[in-house]
Amino acid sequence: MRRLPEEDPGTPDLRSPIRYVLWLARLQWRELAGGTFFGILWMVSQLLVFVAIGDAIGSGVLYQRLGTLLVWSGVVVGLGCLQAFSGRMRHRYAVTNWLEASYRSIQLLGRHAAATGPALPAAIPSGDVVNTVASDAIRVGGMFDVSARFAGAVVSWLVIAGFLFASNVMLGVIVLLGVPILMVLTVPLMRPLHSTQAVQREVVGKLTALGADTVAGLRILRGVGGEEEFLGRYRARSDVVRLAGNKVASPQALLESGQVLLPSMLVAAVTILTARLVVGKSLGAQQMITFYGLSAFLTMPLRTGIEGIIAATRGLVGARKVIAVLAVQPWTSTPSEPASSPRVGGSLLDPASGFAAAGGQVTALVTETPEEAQAIADRLGRFAPPGPSARSAASLGGVALEDLDLEEVRTRVVVSDVEPRLFTGPLREELAPHARFSDAEILTAIGHASAEDVLDALSNGLDTDVEERGRSFSGGQRQRLALTRVLLMDPEFLVLVEPTSAVDTHTEGRIASRLREARGCNGTVIATTSPLLLERADQVVFIVDGSIVAAGPHRELLDSVPSYRALILRGNDA
Amino acid sequence: MSMLPIASSDQVRSHGMGLARSYRRDLVRMLSLYALAAVAGLVGPWVIGQLTNDIQYKQLTVGRADVLVGALFGAAVIQSVFTFLSRRRSYVFGETVFARLREEFLGHVLGLPLSTVERAGTGDLLSRTTNDMDALSRTVRFAAPEWMVALLTAALTFVAMVIVAPLASLGVFAAVPILYLSTRRYLRYAPAGYLRERAAYATMSGTISETVDGAKTIDALRLSNRQSRRVDADLGEAYDAEMYTLALRLRWFPSVEFAYTLAVATTLLWSGILAYHHVIGIGAATADTIYAVALMDPVDRVISWLDELQVGSTSMARLIGVAFVEDDRAPTGETPVDERIEARDVRYAYREGHDVLRGVTLGLARGERVAVVGPSGAGKSTLGRLLAGVDRPRTGSVEVGGVQLVDLELDDLRGHVALVTQEHHVFIGTVADNLRLAKPDASLAELRAALEAVDALEWAEQLPEGLETELGSTGFALSPSQAQQLALARLVLVDPHTLVLDEATSLLDPRAARHLERSLSAVLAGRTVVAIAHRLHTAHDADRVAVVADGMIIELGTHEELLSSDGEYAALWASWRNDHGGDVVLQP
Repeated sequence: MRRLPEEDPGTPDLRSPIRYVLWLARLQWRELAGGTFFGILWMVSQLLVFVAIGDAIGSGVLYQRLGTLLVWSGVVVGLGCLQAFSGRMRHRYAVTNWLEASYRSIQLLGRHAAATGPALPAAIPSGDVVNTVASDAIRVGGMFDVSARFAGAVVSWLVIAGFLFASNVMLGVIVLLGVPILMVLTVPLMRPLHSTQAVQREVVGKLTALGADTVAGLRILRGVGGEEEFLGRYRARSDVVRLAGNKVASPQALLESGQVLLPSMLVAAVTILTARLVVGKSLGAQQMITFYGLSAFLTMPLRTGIEGIIAATRGLVGARKVIAVLAVQPWTSTPSEPASSPRVGGSLLDPASGFAAAGGQVTALVTETPEEAQAIADRLGRFAPPGPSARSAASLGGVALEDLDLEEVRTRVVVSDVEPRLFTGPLREELAPHARFSDAEILTAIGHASAEDVLDALSNGLDTDVEERGRSFSGGQRQRLALTRVLLMDPEFLVLVEPTSAVDTHTEGRIASRLREARGCNGTVIATTSPLLLERADQVVFIVDGSIVAAGPHRELLDSVPSYRALILRGNDA
Repeated sequence: MSMLPIASSDQVRSHGMGLARSYRRDLVRMLSLYALAAVAGLVGPWVIGQLTNDIQYKQLTVGRADVLVGALFGAAVIQSVFTFLSRRRSYVFGETVFARLREEFLGHVLGLPLSTVERAGTGDLLSRTTNDMDALSRTVRFAAPEWMVALLTAALTFVAMVIVAPLASLGVFAAVPILYLSTRRYLRYAPAGYLRERAAYATMSGTISETVDGAKTIDALRLSNRQSRRVDADLGEAYDAEMYTLALRLRWFPSVEFAYTLAVATTLLWSGILAYHHVIGIGAATADTIYAVALMDPVDRVISWLDELQVGSTSMARLIGVAFVEDDRAPTGETPVDERIEARDVRYAYREGHDVLRGVTLGLARGERVAVVGPSGAGKSTLGRLLAGVDRPRTGSVEVGGVQLVDLELDDLRGHVALVTQEHHVFIGTVADNLRLAKPDASLAELRAALEAVDALEWAEQLPEGLETELGSTGFALSPSQAQQLALARLVLVDPHTLVLDEATSLLDPRAARHLERSLSAVLAGRTVVAIAHRLHTAHDADRVAVVADGMIIELGTHEELLSSDGEYAALWASWRNDHGGDVVLQP
């Protein structure tokens, strides 16, 4: 089998869960067919053992034929070999079928999550997306896993019915009808289990969240106290979970005892009928033993059948959730006929507020609320969600961003939010995700972002692996690494939102003094209230409630605009 | 970053045995019920043996058959009744034991020494709380009881074989060598494989979660292809891990499946020969052969749960390992004579031979405000943690009223000094729950007063259910500055005489910070304060300024003294002042 995941997971059929599952099935039909074949062989080889035992004892021992006993014992060994081989193949196919369907779904989900942008977390909470990957996609695969055994179960049921039918019509009918009837009888036993399990899952989820919450806030708890309170609350919740678990105990035990009692009704019916036929001399000891064995063996196909139905139900529910994630559309996309590229060196304009940044200059954006600066930055980068709030679009070099190829917008205008994320991976790749840069170039950018000390502290330097979300770095370190990353991208316009909010004054000063050198002849927009950064800007634009109050150099605004002065100096000179 | 300890396998075993001992009575009852169910389940093959005997001696009548099959069905009814009773008891038992384990674990987590909590990242502890807890849950609730039951059933089935025909029962031993050798080999490699699988899936979930949470950054920086490749790479690793365990199983499964059938074949042949020679009856041969078939299922469950049990025991080792963290302080029982905090010639190292603090001496006058400034990595935060009694200095001492801070009971320490960092956490629970952590017996009036003091009462009362509003990751989301105010209100309730502020407001938007500073100054009033500062305006408000560089206090004095001495601080101030247009009013 080829190694998973594949290069291209393909384009799924999202019209319904069933269509989605069928689409997956079509792509792996060979493996499914192989699994079915060996699943049938595996189960049939097991049931044939009872035929051999019946003949060996009921014919060989009973009629003192040693040869018959030897031959049938040998047949059991042969069946053992067949079972071992077909069981091995069946398991192999079951796992590959499961993996192929699950991984294809996960791959689709992963790609979609990576390509949909902020639209996905806005539509579906990130925890739910993770759950869809970690459990729903796996459940979709679970359907495929059980399929081989399910096929084996159906065939062995029919084979057993056939065997009995050949001896006696009535016996055959009992098995043929008995198995589906027993399955139907099992369904009501499962229902109370499902509802109590749902309650249990919910309270377990809450308890896990409480445990995780305690660990996340442990530093504070140990700092200010309250451990006893917390333990008390945890114990109370833990008790709720225990009691919910106890509520599951009865239905679960009932289902299991039903799975003992119901098949034994079938066994008793077959056995009593066979015994009477033996008394009437139409059947012998051989059938007595074989038919008992076969009817007892039916427990296995019966359980597998129930398992298959549960897996299919869960799989379809899982498929529905997978589809829900895959159906989320990104907010922005490339228009069908993109406008031609504006010339390099034009200005970046936000008509809604009147904010304009000239090419090659450092323009500072000062607003009274951080939300307003963020909104302007979002428009400048074409991030706004669709809807009435997305007013007239920003433009680059006179061309509306909406009309441009999205890739071009993202390449020429790079927006770095107040909390830019770092991702798992080697630091070198994290800092330069697109182009390959020499270490010297990366180190220069690190210098521009004043992040030398961050690098110095790492034992493996640029080869250090960044932990998930970069959480091994402090807030200030993350901020400077993210700044290094966008400086290396060196776009025509770089829009930085509060790029130094988490760094100390020394460092902020260094970053401010190196910014111009770092940006060269490209344009920069900085949304900030830091005097150190504002000092270095060519132009400061002060916006209140959506419109420009003042524009000009920092010092000029300090002197002439009291509200600006009050905002920047934070009341220190009031 | 120090790792938390992991228990040894001996410790896990003795913990498990201790647990079993303390629940001995429940275990005995549960297993007795199971045994009754199992015995009832053994009637079927015996009945078939009797029927075969009757056929041989041509004694089978309709009446006799009815009685025997009636017994078979009656036994099945009894079996299902006892199955119900024993299963129910077993599930309740599993829930009880697991509830106790998780509560004990959380108790240990909450008792972790302050210095461990401060230094070990939360990642390890979090994965123990979620992943290992989950794995252990399966082991305790399902695997362990199932395993015991299967072992019991297998033993009883074998006993039945021996009772029916002792000599014939020897046939099943043909399977033992194959089962033993192949399973031993499998178990040697399997647990590591399953742990690798688990790690691979955890990594994958992490990648998905950072992808969704970082969606905007990914969009803005065109990282989507790279992130897709990461998901693919994680899947590739998970696939390799799956293939490894699959390969192990593909060797193991055929051996055990063959072994089971071989046991049936040898029992059939051996008991058949014995019956052929009239050593045993044909009914005994029939019954024992069918018992040999029946033995497959419990034996298979016994060996199939072994890998799960092994994986569970590694989780158990990580969970009970938390209890082995040694306490970082042994209270001496001394009582401080006053509320003066003093650090004398303090040195501290995270790694041996690399002192981060190199002889710091600092005495705090009651009610004084000291600002600590200096470049990143100079040791400011380390000094803060020592002044707050979190860590013990390598040499030198940090004392309050003549007693080392780390020699105080934790509860006493909290009454003296508190460390406030930029980290804030809103716990799952109501506003009142969040506040009462600091003072469990606080009255509603006290809570309101504390909120009032930090200027937070107004919004707190406007929450959907006032102080009873559920907050935290599953409840109402507070803004960062509200969360910080809540943290400050807790401090008001704890009421220490000294506060160490480690960049407490630095991660906030400056515009929010300004509002928060008003709340903060209400908390600071009347207390001794050490403020580790990013921003210089904090420094010029202080009574004294300590400039830390390279693990030492290089300048210490009032703002004016340091300005006139024309050192590091003066240079820094000049640049700051300059950036303010040269007109900053120096006096607070």
